[in-house]
Amino acid sequence: MANPPGMIDPRIFESLQSKIDEDAEVRDQIREVLQSLDRQGRTAQSILSRAHSTPAAHLQAVIQSAEAAIKDEVESIGKLANITSNSPYYKYNNMWTRDVQNVVFSVLFCGWLGGVGESGVATEPGKLFTIEEVGKILNVPVNLKDRDAFHITIEEYLQSLITLIEELSRLAINSVTLGDYQRPLQISQFVKDIHAGFQILNLKNDSLRRRSDSIKYNVKKIEDIVYDLSLRNLVPKAEPTAP
Amino acid sequence: MSDKLQEMPGVKRHHDGIEKEAGSRTSPFMPMFEFFRNELDEHHDRRERIIKASRDITAASKKIIFSLQRVRSLKGTIPPKIAAETQERAAAMQQQFLSIAPDLAGINAWRYQRQISGGIQEYMEAISFEHYLRHQKLISIEEAAASLPANVDLTADDYVLGIFDLVGELMRFAITTMATTGSLPGSKNDEDPAQDRDILVDLRSLRTSFEALDTASCGGTGLGKDVEKKMEVMKTCVEKVETAVYGMIIRGRERPKGWVPDLADDRAPVESF
Repeated sequence: MANPPGMIDPRIFESLQSKIDEDAEVRDQIREVLQSLDRQGRTAQSILSRAHSTPAAHLQAVIQSAEAAIKDEVESIGKLANITSNSPYYKYNNMWTRDVQNVVFSVLFCGWLGGVGESGVATEPGKLFTIEEVGKILNVPVNLKDRDAFHITIEEYLQSLITLIEELSRLAINSVTLGDYQRPLQISQFVKDIHAGFQILNLKNDSLRRRSDSIKYNVKKIEDIVYDLSLRNLVPKAEPTAP
Repeated sequence: MSDKLQEMPGVKRHHDGIEKEAGSRTSPFMPMFEFFRNELDEHHDRRERIIKASRDITAASKKIIFSLQRVRSLKGTIPPKIAAETQERAAAMQQQFLSIAPDLAGINAWRYQRQISGGIQEYMEAISFEHYLRHQKLISIEEAAASLPANVDLTADDYVLGIFDLVGELMRFAITTMATTGSLPGSKNDEDPAQDRDILVDLRSLRTSFEALDTASCGGTGLGKDVEKKMEVMKTCVEKVETAVYGMIIRGRERPKGWVPDLADDRAPVESF
């Protein structure tokens, strides 16, 4: 080891080593939370998957279990926000962004089915939660710019939105199988509205761009279902109450 | 044709959506996406400004290093012509840093870390080389950070990776100096001759320090990703100087003055990362 009169002040490498060790410790703590978040994410998604085989009239049970699963996820997100509160947000963001995207997707899908009550946001079937509402449900800030803390980013929200579209295109097919010819129409309109939104974004050549390119295929897939239904006169008439 | 279409019940507008409106209906999510668009545009603009500045800083740093490689002595004053050149470039570099400092403020410091990191590492290499030529000391992370404008953070990773590259520059400096002056650069301590140090001693202490650094915990992230490769290059550099010193001692007097070891192949691995 170099002595103080040498080239290297030994404190330099000592402090580097302690910085590396601190960093490793934070990573370990994050990994631990992510492990449970990952498992909770699987649980929530497997529950929500039951929506594909459940008629709309009986969805309530699915929604309730999904809400309970989401509650667990919210708790883990809270832990994550807590242990990373002293670290720069973007330093470790890439460790959890996939898991967070999964959680946001679960919230969005559950919300579209009409769930995630008791979180202070209005619910209603067919609804798209805004990023602010998602933040409220997850109990974390969104799109933070003025301070450095845990939050949900716009990119994460949009990524989850694309996953929602993929899920809804599957649901459109399965609704027909369940004899529900109404829901594909509702999905078709919803997905088209989101697609229109994505089209005004100036996306660079990143993962969001690549995934958003896939939206149009889902739009087409859903349109084909609507076409199949209308061709066979299976589309329900608009409700008389509608103007 | 259009009549037929209208009779068809499947035409998209016919469903009981709450937001249903006949004719030209726009997506209810448009305001939300307009907001997202503005936010993302800002983000991409910032990102591009930083990438460009990082590239310019890298180029300026490389030029500073080239100029400094013409220095032939340690701990002396840097010849005025070279000093003028490097100062001019350093000032331009400071301007570059200042221009993106607002983009790197607060939470964005780490957001664009990957974009600015290349420039900062090259900058580290340049200022640590200059610091070494002037003082024959390794610049500390605090000293290096202080030379950057506020808002521009120097991460430990960038510091370490910059110092790894410094070894390559020291190797070139040592070998060129040996070839042109016939002796290994070093410094004398008038009060205590036991503390005389040459550049080989310094390179070896750098190598020892690097080897002792435990980066296993970094895994595939940040430091862990690059360290392995840089470690190999660093060791090779030190060994080259060791071999050159050996050669100088054994065959030094037989070698024609001005003989330069073949560095053509060495350049690439040192610079590429």
